[in-house]
Amino acid sequence: MMPLIVALLVGAVLFGIGLYGALSQTNLVMIMMGVEVMLGGAMVNLVAFWRFLHPEVYSGQMFVLIVMTVMALEMAVGFGIGTGRFRVKGSVEMEEARDLNG
Amino acid sequence: MILQTVFLAFFGLAAIWFAVIVFHTSSMVRSALALLFSQTAIGAMFLAMQTEFLGVLQIMMMATEMAIMAVFMVMYMMDPGGLSGMDMTHQKNLSIAAGVIGTVVAVGAALLVDWGPIAGAPPPEAQVHDLGIEMMERSMLIFETAGVTILTAMIATTAIAIQSRQTIQEGENE
Amino acid sequence: MSTLVVSLALLAGAYLVAVLESWVSTGRMSFAGPARSGLALLGRESISPRQADRVFFEAAPPLLLVSAVFAAAVLPLAPGLIVADLATGALFVNAALAYVMVALVMAGWGPNGAYAMVGGFRFLGQLVGYSMLIVMPITAVAMRAESLLTTEIVTSQASLINAIYQPIGFVLFMVAAMAVCFLPPLDLATAPGELAGGVMAEYTGWRLAAMRLARAALVITLAASVTVFYLGGWIGPVLPLWAWTAAKTLVVAAAMLVVGRYVPRVREADFLAWCWKLGIPLALFNIFYVGVILLVI
Repeated sequence: MMPLIVALLVGAVLFGIGLYGALSQTNLVMIMMGVEVMLGGAMVNLVAFWRFLHPEVYSGQMFVLIVMTVMALEMAVGFGIGTGRFRVKGSVEMEEARDLNG
Repeated sequence: MILQTVFLAFFGLAAIWFAVIVFHTSSMVRSALALLFSQTAIGAMFLAMQTEFLGVLQIMMMATEMAIMAVFMVMYMMDPGGLSGMDMTHQKNLSIAAGVIGTVVAVGAALLVDWGPIAGAPPPEAQVHDLGIEMMERSMLIFETAGVTILTAMIATTAIAIQSRQTIQEGENE
Repeated sequence: MSTLVVSLALLAGAYLVAVLESWVSTGRMSFAGPARSGLALLGRESISPRQADRVFFEAAPPLLLVSAVFAAAVLPLAPGLIVADLATGALFVNAALAYVMVALVMAGWGPNGAYAMVGGFRFLGQLVGYSMLIVMPITAVAMRAESLLTTEIVTSQASLINAIYQPIGFVLFMVAAMAVCFLPPLDLATAPGELAGGVMAEYTGWRLAAMRLARAALVITLAASVTVFYLGGWIGPVLPLWAWTAAKTLVVAAAMLVVGRYVPRVREADFLAWCWKLGIPLALFNIFYVGVILLVI
């Protein structure tokens, strides 16, 4: 029982830290780092569930692989948008991005 | 079991510690590399949970990902070295409240639910084999979808990020 | 026991690489040379630059050494003579080598110097080029062995070594291996004569000695991985098994060093273009070709 609880607690704390970061930072890159920390917490939980509850079902590991893909894609697309924004406005600060608000 | 718990707690604390540094330090390169070591600690947690393939994969992928992130941080931040101590945050109270609530809810769920008995882990060779079978049989469609999504994202990202032909010509005229 | 043997072998190999490197650049084979210059470096003052990022500056040389040693830990010297026979050994080599780049970016950013930073970021660009060329050929190797265990990979080459079985993968992996340990002509990270040492520019004294030791260990590790993945590791007649691995590794290391003597340095943009426009299609073709051979024959 203990290892599962420890892993879940770590996942929960990582999720909280990531949520704080994603909400509080003003820069696009830092917000993405917050999201990465949250996804990291989610991955810890997924692996813990697979390992300690259902090691016979490999969909659990598959799920982690997909989360890793999502992390990489989130970064790539985020940086693409950031680069486009930086070319036009010269900054990726979210406070200055109110002009995107229609 | 006890040894596993100790290792999990150690790497978990390392992951949390580095994750805190990510948002605490003012040097952007440090922040990106702290995120890298946080993710590496998560990979080490996978290894401690006898999930060898995913652990090694996590450790490998995050090294590249986060180092590239460091370059973008240096490119786009006003103060990449953190020498002037700018404040880069907003809506602090709301964020702290959201973070604490998220943590409390997740911790509550972790502690209150009866998770049932703990199962044993399959040996690493069997894991690599069975994950491959899963990937190429039952989850093949998901796997292929992920691959196509990556390709789409690569093309779309390049299309967004590339300098438009018009801008290049204007630059030449100036 | 095998940990001790492998680490001693790694140290000896790193020393021989240093000897070979000075032989390649000066033309004189001096077995005492590296020891003398190493002792001289230890005696010199180790300056830490002003306004450096101390954590990165101090952590980079050990991290470089650690990544080389970890990669060497999953490579077998002979049957049973391996530190950790991981079920994901071939993948673990990649994972350990990824931290070479992290160490060099840290070494580049840490000392607060222009040359060092240019060198570190150049190496990151170089990584974007070579990382695919290191993963994809290993995929084809693992396909033939039907396992990620490095020992299985060696035994799978008993009938025919991979360098002949999949020559495209061998060439691509050699190029990528030279890029990982930033040997000339792909030494964009250090680039003596152009960047004044690049990432190593600000390191002096024992820190520079640690950095050079780590680089030599990296060269020998990469040569050993080429041996294990493509040249059949310990497989060979007459001589004891470990001697075959050692001999092949040294020959590969010498080849890697000699090539750099005669080829001009590649520009990073050209390297990227070659890797992505030529290398990756070739690597994909290699995977396809090995798959066809495995299924048909």
